[in-house]
Amino acid sequence: MNRRDSLKLAAISVFGAGLPYSGVRAQNRYAKYAGQTVVFSIPAHPQYDAMMKILPTFTRETGIKVEVDKLAMGRMKEKQLLEMAKPSGDFDLGCYVVMWKGEYVAKNLIHPLEPFFANPALADPAYDMKDIVPIYLENLGLVGGPKGYLAGPGAKLYGIPYGAETSVLAYRRDIFAKHNLKPPENYEDFGKLLHVIKEKEGIGALASRGQAGHQVVHAWLLHLNPLGGSVFDDKWQPRFNDKIGLAALKFLQDVVATGPAGIPGYGQGESNTAFLQGQAAMYLDSTLIAGLVNDPSKSKIVGNVSWALHPKGVRRASQSGGLGLAIPKNAKHADAGFLLMQWLTSKVQDKAVTMAGGAPMRNSTLRDADAVRKYPEFITFVEALKYSNPDWRPIIPVWDKINVQALGVGLSEALTGKKSAQQALDDMVPQVMAIMREGGYKI
Amino acid sequence: MSVRTPAWVPALYLGPAVLVMAAACLYPVLSAFQLAGFDWNMGTQWGSARWVGWGNFVTAFSNPRVWSSLWTTLLFAAVCVGAEMVLGIALALALERPVRGMSVFRTLFILPMMIAPIAVGLGWRYLFDAQFGLINAVLQFLGLSAKTWLADPTLAFVAIVVADIWQWTPFVFIMMIAALASVDGSILEAARIDGARWWQQTFLVKLPMVMNVIAITLMMRLIDAFRVLEVIYVLTFGGPGDSTEILSLHIYKTAFVGQELGVAAAISVLLLVVVAALSWGALRLSNPMKGETR
Repeated sequence: MNRRDSLKLAAISVFGAGLPYSGVRAQNRYAKYAGQTVVFSIPAHPQYDAMMKILPTFTRETGIKVEVDKLAMGRMKEKQLLEMAKPSGDFDLGCYVVMWKGEYVAKNLIHPLEPFFANPALADPAYDMKDIVPIYLENLGLVGGPKGYLAGPGAKLYGIPYGAETSVLAYRRDIFAKHNLKPPENYEDFGKLLHVIKEKEGIGALASRGQAGHQVVHAWLLHLNPLGGSVFDDKWQPRFNDKIGLAALKFLQDVVATGPAGIPGYGQGESNTAFLQGQAAMYLDSTLIAGLVNDPSKSKIVGNVSWALHPKGVRRASQSGGLGLAIPKNAKHADAGFLLMQWLTSKVQDKAVTMAGGAPMRNSTLRDADAVRKYPEFITFVEALKYSNPDWRPIIPVWDKINVQALGVGLSEALTGKKSAQQALDDMVPQVMAIMREGGYKI
Repeated sequence: MSVRTPAWVPALYLGPAVLVMAAACLYPVLSAFQLAGFDWNMGTQWGSARWVGWGNFVTAFSNPRVWSSLWTTLLFAAVCVGAEMVLGIALALALERPVRGMSVFRTLFILPMMIAPIAVGLGWRYLFDAQFGLINAVLQFLGLSAKTWLADPTLAFVAIVVADIWQWTPFVFIMMIAALASVDGSILEAARIDGARWWQQTFLVKLPMVMNVIAITLMMRLIDAFRVLEVIYVLTFGGPGDSTEILSLHIYKTAFVGQELGVAAAISVLLLVVVAALSWGALRLSNPMKGETR
């Protein structure tokens, strides 16, 4: 062996030993927890259906077992609250809806995540937090900042987005081409188009949610924000009954009048089905529909859908919301729960769940060549995310009550004609103010 | 020769049953009364609950939605239980005599009440779907216009009533068929010999003889109609507006959405009072325990 060969051998030995170093570190990260079982509270939801396909890989790679507790979204919160209030809970990791984050933190039920990410024994150095879509991270993860839920001074990270969404317009390009229509750029065009489609094609113009409770509020907020409105002003005084709130509600009434029959009884599932089964020409809601439109087992409109930005009102705005992951304070296996959360939201697994039909939460996935080839609509989604509004709804601890018990009833009454739009909005103001006062707001 | 039973023997025999009943029935009721006096949020420790006395009752009873829910519940119970009693008794009368394939009929009739309420709600939600539902398909096949069943306040109420009648008429049917089977055949024979017609035998002989069972069945159905939750939760979630928000759903929303467990307990006490009053009324109709007080 000459000197050159000796140097080569030495170099290979050094770098060869170094290359699997990160792998060894990763293995060490998990070794301590191998054999533990993480109990994971999840909803029945397309994102988590996709997640189930990649979950066995986690156990194979880490030795950590996962037990899934799957519930309907509406029932998940009550079970989580009951579990998390116990001295020692059954959940090690939980999925939550964006509206619940403030309440969970206010009740001291979930861990801040900074100590986990600061722990070198747990944190993955390749995790790359900055790659997570910033609006998703702010909207789903941060609590304690301005208004209690926005990024800024005082904000702490309590959750990681997983099933996050924004709003885009999906439309039937075959129908639009047949009648020489263009996707609406603004709300004026959008309003006219509803009637044109109904008259020319004879099917519903826009699929929408409308069921009493959260569903109808979600539908109304989709129009309130772009039109320039909000639920409260900067001093927490209700302003949803102003002329913008009224315009948004009248627009929603128009959507009901020109949409598929039965919108006031539609939850998200019925709204999705109406579009996927060809009963509506447009769909303005969550980006999660992307995983369904080209699935022939669920959709009759495969290959006929194009995508556009949420139409512009006085401003360009798209929704921010969806689901996130958090670790309960009373988790028995909090560290293992964190490892699962970190693994699921890593770059590799975000792409994997996306390819399995889930929704990406990382910029790298949204721009990944394979992912874009499979879901060309990601190009529109990236554009929509530029306009995603983190203040879409006031995610304060009492929002869920305002959402379901006050606004969710009044808006529904306006859609069924029990009350006029203005009367429905005005009648809700005292109820909302009472709930705010109960919640400690001095208004 | 008669043996005198010591006074403590009945107490010994009844004691365990009374204790079990007290634990199973009385404890939750007393807990509800206790909870109604506290302001307690879900997800917080009981130690953080604040005593508010009658405050929760004042909050609950000054809320117009509680009274509109109570009215919806009374209407729902009256329509459903009335229809179920009539249909259940009619079916039992029709099938009490040996008919070919009787066992198949009976099995088919009792199937609905064996199905989990959530599945019943989902099933009817699809049946009533305005776009894809079987009911609208049948209406259109018959040349009638499709209806937006779950999007119209009146039709949504009809929908929850239909679902409840479908599920619980079999219960009345079973109770009645068992009761009718126990009617003494010689009395009916005597009525026939005396020239009683079918309707006279039915309304003046058979049904009065099973009036105790009718009263108990009525009471059980009334109690159940006031407690029904899952089917309506899935079918309409109380909407559109609050047109199908019965009291138990309002209690559920107050407890698990509004997280006012104390206020929810206070409304539960109201529900308890209403159900107790109606049960008392049903027992006044015909009390099977009357005359057995020796």
